[in-house]
Amino acid sequence: MGGPVTWLVILPLITALAILAVSSNRTHVFRWVALVGTGLHLLLTGFVTWQYWVQASRDGATTGDGLFTKLYLVERVPWFESLGIQYLVGVDGVSVAMIILTSIVIFCGVLVSWHVVERAKEFFALLLILVTGVFGVFVSFDLFLFFIFYELAVLPMYLLIGIWGTGPKEYSAMKLTIMLMASSALILVGILALHHGAPVPTFDLTQLAQHSYPLAFQSWVFPVIFIGFGVIGALYPFHTWSPDGHASAPTAVSMLHAGVLMKLGGYGALRVGIYLLPEGAKEWALVFMILTTINILYGALAAIRQKDLKYFTAYSSVSHCGFVLFGLVALNSIGIQGAVIQMFSHGIMTALFFALIGMVYGRTHTRMIPEMGGLGVRIPWLAACFYIGGLASLGLPGLFGFVAESHVFLGGFFGNPWIDTTLTRTLTIIATLSIVVTAVYVLRGLGTVFQGPLDEARFGHLTDATLTERLGSGILVAVLAIGGLVPFLFLDLISPSLVPFVERLGDALIRLGVL
Amino acid sequence: MYYLPELVIVAAGFFVLISDLFMPKHHRKYLPPLSLGAAAIAIGLLLANVNVAAEYLGGRFVISPLTTWFKIIFLLGGAFTVLLTWNSKRFERITAPGEFFSILLFTQVGMMCLISSTDLASLYISLELSTIPLFALAAWKRGDKYSGEAGIKYVLYGALASALLLYGFGLLYASSGSLDLRVVGDTFTATPLAWIALALVISGVGFKLTLTPFHFWAADVYQGAPTPVTAYLSVASKAAGLAFMFQIFFGMFGAQLAEWQWLIAALATASMTVGNLIAIIQRNIKRFMAFSSISQAGYLIMGFIGPYPEGAPAMLFYMLIFAFTNMAVFGVIMWYDDETGRTDINDYHGLSKTNPVLALVMLLALFSLAGVPPMAGFVGKFFLFSIAAKAGMHWLVAVAAINSTISLFYYLRIVRAMYIETPTEGQRRLPVSPVMQTTLAVTTAGVIFLGVIPLFYNLIERHLTDWLRWFAGW
Repeated sequence: MGGPVTWLVILPLITALAILAVSSNRTHVFRWVALVGTGLHLLLTGFVTWQYWVQASRDGATTGDGLFTKLYLVERVPWFESLGIQYLVGVDGVSVAMIILTSIVIFCGVLVSWHVVERAKEFFALLLILVTGVFGVFVSFDLFLFFIFYELAVLPMYLLIGIWGTGPKEYSAMKLTIMLMASSALILVGILALHHGAPVPTFDLTQLAQHSYPLAFQSWVFPVIFIGFGVIGALYPFHTWSPDGHASAPTAVSMLHAGVLMKLGGYGALRVGIYLLPEGAKEWALVFMILTTINILYGALAAIRQKDLKYFTAYSSVSHCGFVLFGLVALNSIGIQGAVIQMFSHGIMTALFFALIGMVYGRTHTRMIPEMGGLGVRIPWLAACFYIGGLASLGLPGLFGFVAESHVFLGGFFGNPWIDTTLTRTLTIIATLSIVVTAVYVLRGLGTVFQGPLDEARFGHLTDATLTERLGSGILVAVLAIGGLVPFLFLDLISPSLVPFVERLGDALIRLGVL
Repeated sequence: MYYLPELVIVAAGFFVLISDLFMPKHHRKYLPPLSLGAAAIAIGLLLANVNVAAEYLGGRFVISPLTTWFKIIFLLGGAFTVLLTWNSKRFERITAPGEFFSILLFTQVGMMCLISSTDLASLYISLELSTIPLFALAAWKRGDKYSGEAGIKYVLYGALASALLLYGFGLLYASSGSLDLRVVGDTFTATPLAWIALALVISGVGFKLTLTPFHFWAADVYQGAPTPVTAYLSVASKAAGLAFMFQIFFGMFGAQLAEWQWLIAALATASMTVGNLIAIIQRNIKRFMAFSSISQAGYLIMGFIGPYPEGAPAMLFYMLIFAFTNMAVFGVIMWYDDETGRTDINDYHGLSKTNPVLALVMLLALFSLAGVPPMAGFVGKFFLFSIAAKAGMHWLVAVAAINSTISLFYYLRIVRAMYIETPTEGQRRLPVSPVMQTTLAVTTAGVIFLGVIPLFYNLIERHLTDWLRWFAGW
């Protein structure tokens, strides 16, 4: 029953239900259920990736151009037929990349949440329901289905932060939920407009893409959709939910949220916004390019001022998610490629950060940077991982972050035929300055925490990472290194699937008479 | 004999009414299952002939898939209400249970005739039959000052609305010379007299459906009335309001519907915005649900913006979902009120620890009301919003969607109390009766599956369009 892609979506849900079925007293059992479930999911992800790769290469070989641009592993079931709604799932290179990211992050998230005690059963179940939504978003190609999964991914956050969070958790949870839900209201308006604007009303993304909407229509729908997705992608000035939310959330939730959920923004903006509305994108590219430049710099500058490790990482995430949107609105193939790589690499990187912060906090019971010092002596594993993540985030060649950021900046630098190149280049150069700022805050922050004299009385007794923690953080570090050393593996996976996006942009060029 | 369901309910109503005379007290516990049985038989009969169209009494009483589906929703609302009262500790103490159930059944008959009637006179009479007995039900808690207040307020507002409506009907009759809905609609000319008539009729509709600015009675009546009656008011009575609006807008003025768009949009905007904003500051959960229902009515009437073949199935489907969802919420409210006597939102703290299943039921139902996927409420709302979008009213979609977000804010207050706040010392697990368990299981199943399984919507949609095709040919 069901193809592999459907299983990809329902496996976390089944795991969640299995956890709920276990008696609450047996803490060990449902931890293991969660681990086995997410482990199986990782295997399934591998299988899907392999299937995709095989089928796509075969197609590429027969057509001779080596491009595999269509959807694979498609499952299509009519749902509300009279309204053009169907259950349509499938994968292309971008979806596969995002699925791999999510699988890795949730697996590591379960590993590092091994010692959650309070209401652990509900915690793991909700976490897995959230992940169901995330996987659903990445594989659905019907906008109705897409939207259902999108909200399913957002809403469990309220309870996850509200119940298991720290600090002003109720405030943060409510702020996050309301801001994200308000943004999804915009997305809903956009989706319905797209549906009724098409000659044959349908929610099928691949069919909607056959149609080019009138310019006047595109120029109001595009900003609605882009801002709708931009809120979850931490677009300035709609990012304010993100630092509070991340700071209050428990470790695994921060990992998932910053690592994966914020990527839904970039993914949606690309898949729905730029793909369906290329002319609208062109109209608004400059505005959003300016906003994302502010995003990048503002996030980085704000991170310098933070004393709390979680706020520190959260602002750094705002800055890095700015790269994703910046790459997208560069509106050329290399920029979009950079955006997708950045989604992946930042997902891994920030998940690593939040996991490590959780581990450090579990030992020191403080997240305040100035209170710590010299911890590297006692917890060398955590320190090493933290440094690797930090170096990746400031774009050190050899790590994944470099690949992503270089693509994004190149994309911005090349610009596109619609906007004066001097403008895009200026903006790109301003944005590049953030690398320097990032270097300042990462090195200063980490230096304070892990180097210098150790407060023996307070931190002398600390022990290094346990086995599950080592496993969780080790996997993430390994992915960062692999991505940085052999980036072509990843590029080969995604770039062919970016062709349709670029083609749509090219068509728009021709229609508008620029070329 | 396609009017048999009505006869079944009438017969059951009379039997239950006189049962107080001869039935020994200890046998009165059979009254709820009896009423329920009558509703079940009627629903069965309706479902068996769901695709039938017929006329009786010289065309004054029509049966069509539309009326049948409406009747199913009315009866479901009635059946759930009976289930809520069954086994209720407070209800065991009420005097004359026979009267209570017979009144309930008679209002059901009124609603069923309301959607089937085709002329102004029978429309008015059946509307009153579905409203006036409810005045008594609202004041049922004898000696309770809130219940008394609810009864009085309902009577006063109801009488006013009814008078306005009757005046409006009179003017319509005067301007067209006919009582037949279709003739009135066809001969409608835009004279000042006709506009006044319409304004009066709409205020009557607005009262029944709790549309802003005709909603003022709702909060006090919802709060004061016994909880099952509140549930009945918010589901079945609201469905009757919708049926009435169907009669006016689709039945009478179907041809001129395009001219109504702005009026509907304005009413919808006002209802959802006012309902939502006032709901935020409520402390009593029943008052809170009153404002929530006002905003739901606002979403509901968005269906009138589109033409009949799109609007009717979407609105019926939403009403069906709303019946299940609201009954789930009121089930929990009823149960908690019954066990603890508390109806404040803050009193729900820690419910997820003491009664996790009940808290989950409440959570799912509230999310469905807020229109969060994958609950049925989302799917229903999506279809309604889609109609507004199709008519080009994207601003209305935006208003409605933002309103859904606001509503989520206040529904989350209850979720917060249940899940995030901790139970007080000594708060223990509360028992749930088997009937209540069944009720909540059924309603929750509806909340989860009505939207995910396409069967129900497709069924309603197909029946209505088939019938419409046949009707147009005829």
